[in-house]
Amino acid sequence: MKIELISVLALLFCLLIIGIEYIMHYRLAELQDEHTARIENIRHRLDVHVEGVLYAPTDSSRESEINALTDEINGDYEVYEMAVSTIRTHKGTSYHDDIEAQDLLIKQIDEKVDPVSIYAKMLDEGNVYHKGYACRRLAEMNAMEYRDKIKECIDTKNRDLAYNAAMALCHMGDLYEVAEYLLSIQDDHMYSGRIVNEFFAQFTGDRRELAELLFEKCNKYMKCTIIKTLEKYPIDAFRPMYIEGASGNDTQLKIACVKALGAFGYPEDEQILQMAAQDNDWVIRSSAVRGLSRLKSPTALATVKHALGDKEWWVRQTAAQAITKMDIMPSDLEEILGGYDRFAADAVKNVLYKTVDTE
Amino acid sequence: MGFLNAVRSFIVVFNYFCMAFTLLLSVIYIIQLFVSFFRVHRDYSKSFSDDFHSYVDSDNLLPISLIIPAYNEQENIVQNIRSLMKINYPMYEIIVVNDGSTDKTGELVVNAFHMHKIETSIRYQIPTQKIEAVYYSKKYPNLLYVQKANGGKSDALNAGINISRYPLFTCLDADSRVEKDALLRLALEFIKDSRTVVAGGIVRIANGSKIVDGELKGFSMPKKLIERFQIVEYYRSFLMGRVFWSSTNSLLIVSGAFGLFRKQTVIDVGGYKRNTIGEDMEIVVRIHRYMRKNHKKYRVKFNELSVCWTQGPMSLNDIRSQRRRWQIGLMDTLISHFGMTLNPRYGFVGLLSIPYNWIFELFGALVETIGYFLIPFTLLMGELNMFFFVIYFLLSVALGVILSQGSLVLEQYTHRAAMTAKQSIAVSVYAILENFGYRQLITIFRVEGIIKYRKLHKTWGKIKRKEFEQ
Repeated sequence: MKIELISVLALLFCLLIIGIEYIMHYRLAELQDEHTARIENIRHRLDVHVEGVLYAPTDSSRESEINALTDEINGDYEVYEMAVSTIRTHKGTSYHDDIEAQDLLIKQIDEKVDPVSIYAKMLDEGNVYHKGYACRRLAEMNAMEYRDKIKECIDTKNRDLAYNAAMALCHMGDLYEVAEYLLSIQDDHMYSGRIVNEFFAQFTGDRRELAELLFEKCNKYMKCTIIKTLEKYPIDAFRPMYIEGASGNDTQLKIACVKALGAFGYPEDEQILQMAAQDNDWVIRSSAVRGLSRLKSPTALATVKHALGDKEWWVRQTAAQAITKMDIMPSDLEEILGGYDRFAADAVKNVLYKTVDTE
Repeated sequence: MGFLNAVRSFIVVFNYFCMAFTLLLSVIYIIQLFVSFFRVHRDYSKSFSDDFHSYVDSDNLLPISLIIPAYNEQENIVQNIRSLMKINYPMYEIIVVNDGSTDKTGELVVNAFHMHKIETSIRYQIPTQKIEAVYYSKKYPNLLYVQKANGGKSDALNAGINISRYPLFTCLDADSRVEKDALLRLALEFIKDSRTVVAGGIVRIANGSKIVDGELKGFSMPKKLIERFQIVEYYRSFLMGRVFWSSTNSLLIVSGAFGLFRKQTVIDVGGYKRNTIGEDMEIVVRIHRYMRKNHKKYRVKFNELSVCWTQGPMSLNDIRSQRRRWQIGLMDTLISHFGMTLNPRYGFVGLLSIPYNWIFELFGALVETIGYFLIPFTLLMGELNMFFFVIYFLLSVALGVILSQGSLVLEQYTHRAAMTAKQSIAVSVYAILENFGYRQLITIFRVEGIIKYRKLHKTWGKIKRKEFEQ
């Protein structure tokens, strides 16, 4: 009897849970319906107001439409962002191409709505994810007066918030805070690589200063990562360091420096790249071949041609890709395609099929 | 008399075993549901500050090769390629591998995309059947069509890996549609954690949903009951099971319809296993095995916001064939990697995930089916109290409903459903109805898979599907 009683109680308990789940489900579904309907309504009204602004016959009617748009936003960040998006994507006459007119309208709305205060409130009162979002938005709006508040967020234990705050300061070009943040994560190799890449891409300050500051204190892994990242932003002042690294024995540093040197495309670096093209490590050889292809000298071309027959597939592929971008004579191509080196011929054929119209 | 008594005792003991087994499984499922709820809640909150669109321009984003193994896919293949060409991802290539189709799959692709035959060098890092021809189009430079001798889905995927250029690849079913941002979301798993070697997305049933260019545009309830049940079933399987197992880094399966892999890792483990129909599970288990054996840090992730739509089977025969294949695939994988079972060397995977799959996913179906026949028999013999039988049956149904309904709540919570409140509640009715017939049928199909394992474990399965609504 006891087990049967327990079973009945368990069944009743299950039914209670099912009931709660159904209520939750229905409520959530209703909320979603309401949300969808609300968004649709707002979108429609925003469209009407934007059109009103565009086609307003007089300045006063235009002003009243802008006021209506402002009232619609009413301190809600979601509506504000929708309004900006509506203005940017509105297709009316030639307006959708006129970035200046769009900027002007957004500026007028900003003056009335003060979006900075909306995001500042979010930064003060929101949860960690809202705070993170607010940091990014405030940085995009150049709200420098909130820099100190954003800095406070970097010290939080929540990794997402710290990242968003640091990214915001990156937008604001805050050299020391960004450097400190990057140094604080340098031992986490799973994380720091991509962060360095992202931060250098977004940094609005002087990249050279940031790199110098980091080079002073960072470990080898971070140094290599920064050098690889700087391949996209060649800075002459670092060339001597790259030359030293490319001539050294540390493989990781050598790879980074050869890549960075290759990106300059300076003829005076050819000798170092030629030496790197003979290295035992295939990544170094491949990076050197790519760098040499930018030089376009006869000796560089000869090395790239030689690399077409490299024992490593990736080097051959890199060489084949590179050679089609160099000033190569048709006779040279014929020689490769009809030559004894099957690997070289295959690699070039592969690239040519995709770059030359063979139809 | 002695023999009869022994049979009687056995039946009674087995009945209790069945009940204890079902209850234990339900408790495990409920734990999974709770963990999944917290995980989904965290990920959903996190997505607020996660400006994933900004990664489109990021140099960190790795290019992807989309491999589509196709065998007699003339109905959907061209449409699928066109839809893939519109995905929101900066650098990708599409490789269609025709595994010796006997229909017009190849002809349709070549003509639709103005492709021409090219000679190309192929790096055979994984052995495959002979690649007969490679086609390329200047007009669609990120599309490659590969014609090869029939060798099975795994062989087609391995050929695609060999010919691919990029460090990540995804295998996509020819009859599936990927949402516009799905790949971007999955690729972010590789950026955010460089240990990630595999990331799987959620697969949803497209029957009834209107999907245009990778965007869900609307939902209407599918006509057939069997399709409606599958909608609930998929929510449960993905939102509950996979979210839970990935949170412990012991997810054993990334759907064959949609998963993103680090190419080098797959090459290191020898590519997809040939002559198996559960290649999607087998490759993930082999990756776990290889990484743990070699003490490499790795992660197998699941992203519930990354969505792929697939057409679910529309007839009982097709669903029977599908579930049979799934069970055979599971069995094949578990047998192939038997050494991992309860082996502490493989951590959580060996100690929990694989034993769970053996006990509950494989033999569970067997126990359940025997129970279906034995319990009424015991009832007839007078060995089982009718009241207790009814209570037990209702309890198992109620537990099933809690799980299915819980998954629907999760789905609604993430605001992903394109259903209205009414439709959503209508779907939830099927969370109850599936317990009366559908669930039992599916279990029997799974047992059939176990029984026919030796006969069927090397065949390509084929299910009749309708075209996507455009």
